[in-house]
Amino acid sequence: MLKHHSLKKLALATLLVVSSSSVWADTSLTVAQRQDPNSWDPIDTFLVAWSSAGGSLFDGLVLRDENLKLQPGLATSWEILEDGLRMRFKLSEGVKFHNGEDFNADAVKFTFDRLLGEEGAKGPQRSNYLSIKSIEVVDDHTVDFVMNAPDPVMLTKLAGYGAMIVPPKYITEKGDAHFNMNPVGTGPFKFKSYTQGDKLELVINPDYFGGKPKLDNLTYRFIREDATRLAELQAGRVDVVHDIAFSAIPTVKENDSIEIVSVAGPSIMSYQFNTKAGITKDLKVRQAINMAVDKKVLIDAFLGGYGTPIDSLQGKLSFGYDPDLKGYPFDPEKAKQLLKEAGVKPGTEITIDYRANNAAVGEISQAMTSFLQNVGLNAKLKPIESSVFLNDIVPKGKTDELFQFTWGGWTFDFDNTAYLIYHDGERWNPYGTSEEMNKLLEAQRSIVDQDERLKILRQVGQLAHDNAYHLPLYNEDTIYAVSKKVKGFVPAPDRRMRYLTTTVEE
Amino acid sequence: MRALFRFEFLAGLVLLTLVGGAVALSPWLFPDSGKTMDFLARLTPPFVNEAHWLGTDPMGRDILERVVVGGKISFIVGIFSALGAVTLGTVIGLLAGYYRGFWDSFLMRFADIQLALPFILLAITVIAIIGPGLDRIVILMIVAQWVQYARLVRASVLSLREAEYVQAAKSYGLPDRKIIFGHILPNAMGPLIILATLNVANNILLESSLTFLGLGIDPLTPSWGGMLADGRNYIQTAPWITIFPGLAIMFTVLGLNLLGDWLRDYLDPLGKTNT
Amino acid sequence: MPIVSYFIKRFLQAAFVVVVVSLLVAFAIRMTGDPAMMMLGESANITEADLHNIREQMGLNRPFLVQYWGFMSGLFSGDLGDSFFRGAIAPLIWQAMKATMLLAIISLGVSMLISLPLGIYAARHKNSWGDQCIRILSLTGLSFPNFWLGIMLMLLFSVTLKWLPVSGFSGASSLILPALTIGIILTASNLRIIRSAMLEVLNSQYVMVARAKGLSEHRVIYRHALRNSAITIITYLGLQFGALMGGLVVVELVFNWPGMGTLAIESIAQRDYPILQTVVTVLAMLIVFVNLLVDVAYVMLDPRIRLE
Repeated sequence: MLKHHSLKKLALATLLVVSSSSVWADTSLTVAQRQDPNSWDPIDTFLVAWSSAGGSLFDGLVLRDENLKLQPGLATSWEILEDGLRMRFKLSEGVKFHNGEDFNADAVKFTFDRLLGEEGAKGPQRSNYLSIKSIEVVDDHTVDFVMNAPDPVMLTKLAGYGAMIVPPKYITEKGDAHFNMNPVGTGPFKFKSYTQGDKLELVINPDYFGGKPKLDNLTYRFIREDATRLAELQAGRVDVVHDIAFSAIPTVKENDSIEIVSVAGPSIMSYQFNTKAGITKDLKVRQAINMAVDKKVLIDAFLGGYGTPIDSLQGKLSFGYDPDLKGYPFDPEKAKQLLKEAGVKPGTEITIDYRANNAAVGEISQAMTSFLQNVGLNAKLKPIESSVFLNDIVPKGKTDELFQFTWGGWTFDFDNTAYLIYHDGERWNPYGTSEEMNKLLEAQRSIVDQDERLKILRQVGQLAHDNAYHLPLYNEDTIYAVSKKVKGFVPAPDRRMRYLTTTVEE
Repeated sequence: MRALFRFEFLAGLVLLTLVGGAVALSPWLFPDSGKTMDFLARLTPPFVNEAHWLGTDPMGRDILERVVVGGKISFIVGIFSALGAVTLGTVIGLLAGYYRGFWDSFLMRFADIQLALPFILLAITVIAIIGPGLDRIVILMIVAQWVQYARLVRASVLSLREAEYVQAAKSYGLPDRKIIFGHILPNAMGPLIILATLNVANNILLESSLTFLGLGIDPLTPSWGGMLADGRNYIQTAPWITIFPGLAIMFTVLGLNLLGDWLRDYLDPLGKTNT
Repeated sequence: MPIVSYFIKRFLQAAFVVVVVSLLVAFAIRMTGDPAMMMLGESANITEADLHNIREQMGLNRPFLVQYWGFMSGLFSGDLGDSFFRGAIAPLIWQAMKATMLLAIISLGVSMLISLPLGIYAARHKNSWGDQCIRILSLTGLSFPNFWLGIMLMLLFSVTLKWLPVSGFSGASSLILPALTIGIILTASNLRIIRSAMLEVLNSQYVMVARAKGLSEHRVIYRHALRNSAITIITYLGLQFGALMGGLVVVELVFNWPGMGTLAIESIAQRDYPILQTVVTVLAMLIVFVNLLVDVAYVMLDPRIRLE
């Protein structure tokens, strides 16, 4: 008791001496997001929900800043050797994990051995890093990545979830199950407590190598229902909402104490066509449907304007974006004519499949039926439970004429989306594309020359457009609803928020 | 005759006639079934635009139209599910309660199994497997709810079976069929009617909960429950989307239950002497 | 039949029900999709071999009955094992169980406290103004979907008035809004059942006899009428318990209440079979137990019903 008391006094004295002007209490920020990733092990997950909270706990060798530029992270510098078959990293010195363990070359080797080994095979991250053959420790602060083949996107991927550096001793001693629930990294905030389905509490890591954060406490609350997250923000019980529903934008704007902060993001929304069955087998029909929809109206009405129309499955920030790609114009008359040429009678039925868990997608899908009605197609909707849709309907090619495709594309590299959706045999490509497409996609994967890659990726975009495999709709902005008490909030396009410069004014 | 002029009867009749009449006439009143969208007129408030007297939803669809047309689905869900469950449950409850023995044990274990499966979880799992649809929702509700009636009827039968007048009827050698339908069923009717009218209301709302959970029927077809669930994200900015279908549900629930109360009194042989 | 063998028989029947329910759920959830796919996500480069490995580790390649036996024997030896995605199951279930039971008992209790006296009053003063008011109020309470009522209460008490927490499970004050939401809906339906059950009894012969004997009205109502209408009321409450557990799912979601409902919904979405099986089996046990109590209560309330 006595000890506790004197400690308090000491702390008080220090506080007075160090910063007489600073705020008395600890600064605390509470963030609400929809999903709880349920495990904080970086290699267990593919969820944005993981990175928006877990990003504060861990670092990669490389980090990506809010302008999507790669910056040194735990590595201070790197060089590409042997035509891309070897990458050498110089590591920061004097960095420690939250539990006091040293960060060094052995930790890097341990992290990637784990990712590429048995533990990694249980999760979704390993498949992104298969171009790595092995890790060689050169000295305590130098490591080499030996590659199976040159991988032009690897540097970006090293800033991704799976490449977050984890503490070897801690994991070996305590086991994976313990690590899942009690994560330890090198990041700006340290783990304090975690209650599943409820909240994750973090505290400041004052020794963070990238500079001391301004917040003392950072809490994430997991709240599933859109209306509830909004109410928490309005009631002033959370400061930032990561997944604010588009329908809530007017409510936020009417409120003087909260605001919308937005930034161009990676997420795109489109509908894919079933090119094997139904009227969408016919290219003319697919083109007609592309001309029937006014993307601008959809964005203004259902996204509150926070989006940009797209003509390929990527936004402007994506590597592979082609400013010269001419999309299909909004032209219902032309669409009707094309349908007529294809022999489609007015009133023909067509069905749109979509995932039933997102209100905005539901509204967009309803609006689609109106546009299709306009050109004489009788559109029906089929909302499908999310897991069934992802694991059964799409990969097994059981969809109707149109089906929803939404993609995060956090690498901001078109390869990430294009390979998955245009290469034969991939899960999102149940109906196949063409040999030409396969060759282009494979070719760009082993080219290190980025100009050459860009050219091929643009060809991929053009080819997909010519065949009208899909109806690309929009690239949506990443939006946050933020209390005006919060200062220094820097929105991350990929939702990997770090809250280094953020502070809260009472 | 006096019973026809009771408050319950008149109020119930007026409410149900209003709502039911509008719904029944909807194919003529609104031939396009509330499906026409107008993005320029989306989220119009009520009472400002003559074309959309009760306002519009986020799709720019007319709320008045959707409320009137949407009653059809809600009535189908509410009434068919309750009718199906009452019929099934009553027959099983009568058989089990009157004959007891093996059939009682057998049917009641069935009932226990059914009761031990929470409906929402059952619905989520089944709909995930077979996909959503109006017919499936109604069948799921019948499957989930017959037990309530069966157990209620059985409990009444167990109690009435020992009653003096039933024992007397038995000793006179009346056949089972006559005892069941002539003496036991009429006496079990009261709580049954109350439960059934309650469940019509419950099931209209249950359809709403299913839509809330993403298991509803397709959103192009209007239903009161669906309108309430889809409108929840607009409660603060466009409350009229949920208020009007909410009122429609309220009138229906009131009307049905008032009529149910009246019917219970009317059929209750002992109650009549008392009013 | 002696009371002991009656209970043994009922217990065996209850065990049978629990086994059938858990079998049904274990089977049904396996029809809805593959958790191995969920674990590996939507990314590229997933091979059949990877999927096979994951299924092997999850124990999904074993025959269904072997998996089921593993689950049941674990359940009864007290070792609930691990979930696919969320670590050990036992603490998860325990925490969720506490949260849900707390909510259920409080809302049921509050609702009975309100609906019992009001229901009796309405039955005794049938067709009076008081009766009509109670009736209209209770019917109005039945016209709201639970999520809508929950959101409205949240907007009023937490956003506008800022009196109560919005959501989550943090102290007694966070219990009020979810309990109120369920309580209002429960009260509305309980009132109707109680009034109707009381009316049946008040018109019956034995109450008339009791009255004729000159017993005080108070004694007639509380000793004779209530005791006899209790059968219907208790049957209904027993039935409601299962429905209450189901209805809690939606209210728990709205208020982010960390109970069995949210746990079940999440484990269905993730296809986390071990959790869902356990949740449903535990709920089934609970419901069967409550219905066993209802049957026992019958016998105690009405000795004319024979033990069979």
